[in-house]
Amino acid sequence: MEYNGGAVVAMVGKDCVAIASDKRFGLQLLTLATDFEKIYKMTDKCYIGLAGLATDVQTLSQELKLKVDLYKLREEREITPKKFAHLVSSTLYDHRWGPYFCEPCIAGLDSDNKPFICSTDLIGCINFAKDFVVCGTTARELYGICESFWEPDLGPEELFEVISQSLLNAFDRDSQSGWGAVVHIITPDKIITRHLKTRQD
Amino acid sequence: MISEPIPTAQPARQMANRFDPYEDNGGTTMALAGEDFCIVAADTRQSDGYHINCRYAPKAHQLSDKTVIGTSGFYADGICLVKRIKQRMEWYYHQHDKVMSTPALAQLLSVMLYQKRFFPYYCFTILGGLDEEGKGCVFDYDSVGNVERVKYQAEGSGKELLQPFLDSQIGLKNRATDDVLDLTEEKAIKIVKDAFSSVTERDIHTGDCVEIYIIRKDGIECEKYPLKRD
Amino acid sequence: MINLDFLNPVEDNNGLETEVNKEYLENLNVPTFDIPLCNNPIEFLKHQTEAAEKCRLSIVHGTTTLAFKFKHGVIVCVDSRATAGSYIASQTVKKVIEINPYLLGTMAGGAADCSYWERELGRRCRLYELRNKERISVAAASKLLCNMVYSYKGMGLSMGTMICGWDKKGPGLYYVDNDGTRLEGDLFSVGSGSTFAYGILDSGFKYDMTPEEAYDLGQRAIYHATFRDAASGGIVSCYHVKQDGWTLISRTNVKDLHYKYAEQPKAPLV
Repeated sequence: MEYNGGAVVAMVGKDCVAIASDKRFGLQLLTLATDFEKIYKMTDKCYIGLAGLATDVQTLSQELKLKVDLYKLREEREITPKKFAHLVSSTLYDHRWGPYFCEPCIAGLDSDNKPFICSTDLIGCINFAKDFVVCGTTARELYGICESFWEPDLGPEELFEVISQSLLNAFDRDSQSGWGAVVHIITPDKIITRHLKTRQD
Repeated sequence: MISEPIPTAQPARQMANRFDPYEDNGGTTMALAGEDFCIVAADTRQSDGYHINCRYAPKAHQLSDKTVIGTSGFYADGICLVKRIKQRMEWYYHQHDKVMSTPALAQLLSVMLYQKRFFPYYCFTILGGLDEEGKGCVFDYDSVGNVERVKYQAEGSGKELLQPFLDSQIGLKNRATDDVLDLTEEKAIKIVKDAFSSVTERDIHTGDCVEIYIIRKDGIECEKYPLKRD
Repeated sequence: MINLDFLNPVEDNNGLETEVNKEYLENLNVPTFDIPLCNNPIEFLKHQTEAAEKCRLSIVHGTTTLAFKFKHGVIVCVDSRATAGSYIASQTVKKVIEINPYLLGTMAGGAADCSYWERELGRRCRLYELRNKERISVAAASKLLCNMVYSYKGMGLSMGTMICGWDKKGPGLYYVDNDGTRLEGDLFSVGSGSTFAYGILDSGFKYDMTPEEAYDLGQRAIYHATFRDAASGGIVSCYHVKQDGWTLISRTNVKDLHYKYAEQPKAPLV
């Protein structure tokens, strides 16, 4: 987990969810790229953020996308975030004795546009949360600051402000993540994607 | 998928003989400096792994009427260090007929910690108080005596959780506007209470109660604020 | 006979250590350190600082520092980040230690080791000045430091420092580390980000730069190191050592530098 670094956080708002990640891709202390977004679009209203070993982040995101697309072809409907969470969980548990070294955060709106977030550990134990979930090397910093900043029923713009401030201040205390950030706000009618101007050290 | 057996733990024999004098008793401390006041706060839980030893074991100690010290980490090392500092302060008082100032104490503490460079105190220290001009000052230490004068600092088991919050609220980091922080005492105390309540939610080594020492030029006040006990 | 050389008071007593002298030596002259009462104290400390240890002593580390000599003196540039593991313990460390108005030491490796021994060096330099009625040379100062840390070789000190100053011979620059290495040179960079800083320095260095060009080169080198190296960052401090002592040139936040450099046109690739 400490090899490539990274920070992902997802939060629930009022009829919306937000998911954000940093953009660093590094090898221990060396920063190789600053455009490595760790959030992947699974369906129109469901995103997954993967923090951990970059090779597994890429492999797992592609495997999950494949499974989501096959689900859509077979069932002729979009997968709901909750079902997707269980899909992620069982995919990870398939590799119980040689796991993917990454921790997913899932954020989405279900078919009734109800917000859904969850995270799992690296072998697929799901943590359903009502407020926020975090993962990556910045997890502890994020837990502390989200606990202070988050409150229920935030609108999309307020939620954007809260998640951005939380992520920015958290990864500024973690040497392994940072170098830019991206935030997606998922609302019933649109996705708002913003890139943040951050410290570059 | 199931193919390899779970790797067995290292033989216990190898570990048993090692000199192992430390224990982590957890706990979070923080300090922040205002224009003419200083706040030092520390929770009072003493834990050992998942076990709570004591719900009221003070980690912040008053050294003089201008200085308070907070230690976290190994509790025994912490109180030993405080005792030794008090002794050195006593000597200083008898030799020079005055109470040691906070910056002088800060330097002494750095040297005292470094004297044990090869057998360090396993504790993370913060010193807060008023300097000779009556301004608030905070000194932050690592376990072997590296010292830095700062405006605010969190140390101990919950430092990662607390520090970003302080960066945002007191350091005003990542703000687009040129906000000026007017840190009044009431505001500072509110920030401290909020910070500790949040840390208590997520750090199992922090909780029970937080002692907030408010250092002013006319004396020190200690406020106790209850935290969750779970 | 009155003994003016008060640092060697033992001589008058036919080599006998009196109580006073003993206390004196302990308190003033030679720093003493506590050692754990176990078979192998060095191994104990080494083990205790390992990442896997339950009660880990994470000693503050990580840095980029550089110094180079040029026509108008010595430039010293450093970042200001201290990391303990991957956590950033501080973004505002003073990594240039102002030993006296003519000597600067930089800090890389263990922060406490550097600041303690360079403070001790400052004390010894002052005593040298009082005894000899002249300032200590950079060569001699760096050798004092080197000898001090050499006596603790192998015990786990961590220090990589550059002693910069100006003496009778002109600008002086020495690299001293915890192994006891002491090198004279024109250009050094020390720390986890040093390779990146060397890249910028070597390509931009000219002996007859103007001071302004030199400040910019130093700052750029540190900035690029902070960009690539996770353990460096914060504020770039720049010092200039001249004949009449050192001056602080600037302290600039890396965030400001990044967006300043980003706006400037990039040099074409040759």
